[in-house]
Amino acid sequence: MTCLDVRELLPELAVGVLSANQRTGVERHLQWCAGCRKEAADLGQAAATVGFALAPVPVPQGLGERVVARVRRAAGAPGTARRARTAVASIVAAMVAVASLGWGAVMAGRADRFAERAAQAERSQAEALERFQHVVYQVIPSEAVSESDMHLGQLSPVSTGTGGGFVLQLVSPTILDFSMVIVNGLDPAATELLPYRVRLVDVDGDELRAGRIDELDADGGAEVFHQFKRADLTGFTTVVVVDAIGDVVLSGTVDQSS
Amino acid sequence: MGTRSDGPLLAREEQQLVEGLLAGNEESVRALYARYARPIFTLGLRLLGSSEAAEELTQDVFLAAWRKAARFDPSRGRLSTWLMTIAHNLAVDRLRRETGVTRPHLVLVDEVPEMGGIDEEEPLIERDAAIRALESLSDAEKRLLGRAYFGGLTAREIAEADGIPLGTVKTRLRTALIKVRRANQDKERP
Repeated sequence: MTCLDVRELLPELAVGVLSANQRTGVERHLQWCAGCRKEAADLGQAAATVGFALAPVPVPQGLGERVVARVRRAAGAPGTARRARTAVASIVAAMVAVASLGWGAVMAGRADRFAERAAQAERSQAEALERFQHVVYQVIPSEAVSESDMHLGQLSPVSTGTGGGFVLQLVSPTILDFSMVIVNGLDPAATELLPYRVRLVDVDGDELRAGRIDELDADGGAEVFHQFKRADLTGFTTVVVVDAIGDVVLSGTVDQSS
Repeated sequence: MGTRSDGPLLAREEQQLVEGLLAGNEESVRALYARYARPIFTLGLRLLGSSEAAEELTQDVFLAAWRKAARFDPSRGRLSTWLMTIAHNLAVDRLRRETGVTRPHLVLVDEVPEMGGIDEEEPLIERDAAIRALESLSDAEKRLLGRAYFGGLTAREIAEADGIPLGTVKTRLRTALIKVRRANQDKERP
């Protein structure tokens, strides 16, 4: 997408009516284009103003107390430790096990196939998620995480690029959130593009760094695992892999609604 | 904290409130809630169509604000618009998830938001500013913004409904937003 394409879509982004595909494309562009990002911020501020024009209705009784309780609980008020840090080692073990399944080779480069055979790709994805959940349950007590905490997304090459991959996320109220990105099919000979950086982006364009890839194997594959000590991955559903030049080479969306 | 409950907040007061939120400081959360819960709940009710959904949205907004608090930068915009953006995005995302459509399918509302008197019993500073900013728009521009922001209509849908070129709708939408932004900038922080 060029700046011209993006600028044309920014008003609709600001008022929240872009399709998911368009929004992903625009957000991908905003990752690296400061000019468009500034315009997006200005229009977004204006759109937010519109929301305040509604004639206010009274809030339900007791809502304030529930809001305070939820924030305090999340922020780790006394006696409610936010995350069980003890789970770190076992999750790392789980990730090593996941990586050893060789999914990188199986899942990567599926962008074309996805386009051609969406139903089959969807089945593979569901199967991969199930296997991921199985591995996680082997090392983490099932009462500590639920299936709804584990999410999967697929990475596709941008424009005419090559490669693909997938993303696993654990977004849990009890365990430190983590993400794992497995890529394959990138060009191993293009060492000038190393290191690749993995970023997670939320709907507001806020970013989290999710690791870097310093080398690729002979198939152009690599795995990146990152555990987030403070950040909560809720809403960070857009995943981009950016090369050393700053170009987005792979991108995808994690479905956190499952 | 000692944050005032009325009058516009200074940038440093907004920063203090957000820092308090980040720390889970009860007083800060209460101060933010007192100022912003009503417009957020109102927006939720308008877009999601039920009090339960609006209530859930309001809780989610404050929780999301806590998560993002470290990244709030008062030099880049007001706390009020930051919160309202979070609220609108969460509401739209929720509708997308629930309806499974690729664009929001918002509850149909009147094309133009009510713009009642600004001398209500509990005047809302942000509402006052919003109404004044919207006054800088023509009636057609107000309707256009309302149809997109509250009605969830894309530029293409508006163009088709009105029988005008798509480019014209996009340009008008951008012009309307820029006018609102400018009107707001004229009355930025005290």
